[in-house]
Amino acid sequence: MNTIVEMKSLNKFYGSHHVLKDIDLTVARGEVVVIIGASGSGKSTLIRCVNGLEMYQKGSLMVDGFHMPVEADRLLGGERELAAIRKGVGMVFQQFNLFPHKTVLENITIAPMRVRKKSKSEAEATALTLLDRVGLKAHAHKYPGQLSGGQQQRVAIARSLAMGPHLMLFDEPTSALDPEMIGEVLDVMRELAADGMTMMIVTHEMGFAREVADRIVYIDQGSIMEIGKPDEFFENPKNERARSFLARVLKH
Amino acid sequence: MIATALKWSRHNLFGKPFDALLSIIVIPGVLWLIYQSLDWALTKAQWDIIPQSLRVLMIGIFPADQAWRAWTAVIIIAALLGAGLGCVFAFRSRHAGFLALVWAAAAVLTGTSDLINLLFMAAAVAVFAGGWAVTSYIPASRRALMAASFIGLIAIFAVMSPPGVGLWGGLLLSILLTLVTAIVSLPIGILLAFGRRSRFSSVRIICTAYIEVMRSVPLILVVYWIWILMPVLAPQWNLADVARGMIGFTLFYSAYVAEYVRSGLQAVPRGQTEAARSLGMSEFDINRSIVLPQAIRVVVPPLVGNVLDIFNTAPLVFIIGLTDFLRAGQMILANPQYGDRTYEVYSFLFLTYFLVGSLITYVARKLEAHLARGSR
Ligand SMILES: Nc1ncnc2c1ncn2[C@@H]1O[C@H](COP(=O)(O)OP(=O)(O)O)[C@@H](O)[C@H]1O
Ligand SMILES: [Mg+2]
Repeated sequence: MNTIVEMKSLNKFYGSHHVLKDIDLTVARGEVVVIIGASGSGKSTLIRCVNGLEMYQKGSLMVDGFHMPVEADRLLGGERELAAIRKGVGMVFQQFNLFPHKTVLENITIAPMRVRKKSKSEAEATALTLLDRVGLKAHAHKYPGQLSGGQQQRVAIARSLAMGPHLMLFDEPTSALDPEMIGEVLDVMRELAADGMTMMIVTHEMGFAREVADRIVYIDQGSIMEIGKPDEFFENPKNERARSFLARVLKH
Repeated sequence: MIATALKWSRHNLFGKPFDALLSIIVIPGVLWLIYQSLDWALTKAQWDIIPQSLRVLMIGIFPADQAWRAWTAVIIIAALLGAGLGCVFAFRSRHAGFLALVWAAAAVLTGTSDLINLLFMAAAVAVFAGGWAVTSYIPASRRALMAASFIGLIAIFAVMSPPGVGLWGGLLLSILLTLVTAIVSLPIGILLAFGRRSRFSSVRIICTAYIEVMRSVPLILVVYWIWILMPVLAPQWNLADVARGMIGFTLFYSAYVAEYVRSGLQAVPRGQTEAARSLGMSEFDINRSIVLPQAIRVVVPPLVGNVLDIFNTAPLVFIIGLTDFLRAGQMILANPQYGDRTYEVYSFLFLTYFLVGSLITYVARKLEAHLARGSR
């Protein structure tokens, strides 16, 4: 059971638009996988399949020991595996998606209380520990709108961690942030990686990717073109497209 | 003061030639109208008819010796309205003075000198303030408001029923009809709104059809249909006219509430649902705790406006033989002794509707500003 995610010739369509093509990808527990590629290449769709926010139509997907049903089965009510998977997989979004009508503390405690049936005091104790870890303990009783973007994203990370996930998905977590706030979020993610959290990260921060990734996945037009160790990939990409992509993004 | 008024009028009324021309024609006309109305109201009108027929206007043919039941209902209503207000506006001590003013205005407007009535009225105002303060200062109590409303309605029915449901009437009937419709149509409308987005197509089709049908027919028709259908559909219930009227109003306005709520649901970003799903929350929990509160927040002002619509359309219950506020006024005029007091009675009706309507509109506008400011 060392594998946490296993995609086998996974295919995803939006109508007739073939968005993911025969994806084969395995992620081991404790591994940090960074997915890069041009905008529109299918990175978001790929990681959103892992927790079932997007449905796939063909192939197979195992997550955390459960089989993720394909679209046809999910529409017929095969949602029990989905619930089990989501309990163990956290996700952080580009737009933070904190609940604006709830305080920071309520944002973090609601899922543990509703889903894991934790008591309020237990959930709050965990939440405060996590807030401390992301450096925001003093803001527990504020509303998300009173925080900066970087602070909101750190709360969003704490909110996911409160469910005790085995795997964390990050979809461009710093793309909506002002440049001076990117660092504080990446620092939190670095610590997570150092603590051994399994992560799948979509990002355009190439320096960060190279630093934390165990493997880099390069995706183009819905197909995985190259998977490699960061140093090899960044210094000597084998794929032609990957090379021109890197040339483009590393220029800035 | 006068200088500013002059300055204001120079800018706004006489700023451009066309404005000035209009003002020269309109202002004297309006002044003349006001003068005539005041002249009539203060010197010619015989207002004694209002205190004399106040009971009929307020509670219709409900027996006079049972008036305490009506007052109990009014006090429960006041508590609920106050508690509703407190969910959005914090109660401050300066509001107490304002409420005393409302009480005095009601006393003057109705011209009542009956001590018992004045005391009951004061009790209602005090309870209103009490309900307002409770939900202002104890946020946890707000969650109980929906349940409290239903318990309050049941209590009102319990206390008002013994003399006979057929005796309900007057302004109290209009208010009860409005209250029942507003409270019961809210959960039904919310369910319909969610039903319209259900992933089960049968649920979706039924809810959509219901909403569209109700919104494309006149209220008076629905009320009349329910009135003639209920005895056929449920003869064993033997429902009173009042109850049938309330059912008709509720079924009709639920469709409108559903549409308001739906527009609120659409305003909640997709990311909210996705974030809640990624945390493993059930669809039920997501809708109840994440989506619905944000959606309702957006549509509170139109929902308050909807309450005003209900109140203003309440006179339609004359079609099924009920005596609401407006009808009670006409009943008084039907008495030959009062035949020449038409303008007095209708002025009183007009003023009361106008005051209630402006109050609700004012609250809705305040809410809108308040929610816009608080949307963090
Ligand atoms: N809801 C949708 N409906 C139709 N097409 C979509 C939808 N979401 C994404 N796509 C398409 O799928 C492709 C991959 O999108 P996405 O996974 O968001 O790319 P990335 O995250 O790499 O920028 C794009 O061509 C995009 O236009
Ligand atoms: Mg994307």
